[in-house]
Amino acid sequence: MSAHQNEKRSLSPLLWLLFGAGGMLSALFGPALILITGVLAPTGTGLPQDFLSYDHALALARNPFGKLVALGVISLFFWHGAERIFLTMKDMKAGPAKVLAIMTYGVAAVVTLATFGLLLAIGF
Amino acid sequence: MSEPVMSPVMSESAMPQKTFELRILRYTPGRDEKPAFGSFKVTGAEGMSVLEALQSIKDTLDGTLSFRWSCRMAVCGSCGMMINGTPKLACSTLLRDLPPGPVTVEPLQNFPIERDLVISVDAFVKKIESVYPYLIPREQKTVAEGPHLQTPAQMAAYESFSDCINCMLCYAACPQFGENPDFIGPGAMAMLQRYNGDSRDGGRQKRLDTIHGENGVWSCTAVGYCSEVCPKSVDPANAVNQNKTNSAFDFFLRFLRTEQPQ
Amino acid sequence: MNERRPYHRPMPGNWWARPPYRAYTARELSGVAVAAYGGVLFAGLVSLSRGPESWDGYLQFLRSPTSLALHVLLLAAMIFHVITWFQTLPKTMPKMIVGGKHVPAKKITRIATLAAGVASLVLVLVVLGVAR
Repeated sequence: MSAHQNEKRSLSPLLWLLFGAGGMLSALFGPALILITGVLAPTGTGLPQDFLSYDHALALARNPFGKLVALGVISLFFWHGAERIFLTMKDMKAGPAKVLAIMTYGVAAVVTLATFGLLLAIGF
Repeated sequence: MSEPVMSPVMSESAMPQKTFELRILRYTPGRDEKPAFGSFKVTGAEGMSVLEALQSIKDTLDGTLSFRWSCRMAVCGSCGMMINGTPKLACSTLLRDLPPGPVTVEPLQNFPIERDLVISVDAFVKKIESVYPYLIPREQKTVAEGPHLQTPAQMAAYESFSDCINCMLCYAACPQFGENPDFIGPGAMAMLQRYNGDSRDGGRQKRLDTIHGENGVWSCTAVGYCSEVCPKSVDPANAVNQNKTNSAFDFFLRFLRTEQPQ
Repeated sequence: MNERRPYHRPMPGNWWARPPYRAYTARELSGVAVAAYGGVLFAGLVSLSRGPESWDGYLQFLRSPTSLALHVLLLAAMIFHVITWFQTLPKTMPKMIVGGKHVPAKKITRIATLAAGVASLVLVLVVLGVAR
């Protein structure tokens, strides 16, 4: 009998799917998003200067589709990073697994809930 | 009647000779506290393999040198060892292909050392046995009904995994196995996928049910080095990681399963 | 002579920093950039929810040279993530058989990376177009 048979199920599949979704989303749109929000919009290159105005940003956050995108991107990017950072720190033996899990998955969970809450609070 | 023409055969001694130095990790249980290196200088044919050098050492310099070997042609999987820090088969590694200077030869990484270059394979054998490594026919056929037919495309789906020679180089390559010896590992997963990917087989769920835990596929972090060192291009990394997908879907879909696993 | 005393050689503590595992560690660290950028967006959302003054402060940061440099670094790391992601992706898929032959992983990687490049390009163009 080998140690891997009849083991109880791990939560890893769930975390792995979140990691995969975040990884795919960031692989497809990450470069574009960074370019748009971090370079083009702040410098006004190819985009109007008022693209990032408070009213504009608020309208985006109040739009149901905008909310979905914001929640999806922020939450999945965090879950993706969390799994990678957790596993890498585990490789490096940076600390006990439970502590590493809280620092990574825990933060991702908090950010997900906070993002959800903030997007609701901002209103429609 | 004319004599048959014999082409001149180059004898071993007529081939260019070269001297190689091997630094070999030695360990005799009961005598040694821990392993230590021993150096040997071997003179032989310039094209000799690491295995041939080891055999020369055993024959002429130190009869106690212990190592596994059999076929000398990379199909039996016996002679896996670390050569200059990389998992390789000794029989198919030629000394002239290695950088000049002393060649470091150590037993396969991540396995307990029994003696010299011989490592324990017990746990690995158990892992192979645990994946139901035999065809569980999808449909029962009598001999009279003829063989199970398979198209070339159906065979291509699992063919690479059937090329595994159980040499365990992939286990030496895998750092997650190094950290967790209970990890089922790349080789056993290749065996599992060889059957799960076979169109004639019906035991997919049974095998999947052995790998859902942390010691199943979930110890793997997709380093991928296992597939790089595999001498038979089995691609065990693919065997493990495609079953992450299967395990993940099964995590949710198991509640929809109505039939009991056999 | 018949005594068995198997000797266990542990892996070096810094195995992840040495070849051949260095490339894998570098690949995994690109995940930090993904989360970091998520953090930048999250900070924006928090600022936005606090009102116009707070949002202004966030904009000030975005327009600063520090932020621009940060985003350029994040972009580089993100592109590294994209490339290595699609190199790893074929491992998670069953063997693809097209026309009776196995599709090599490198081909899947090439096509997928190209598609990702197109996806990002399209997004940039769409946003630029819509904003006008």
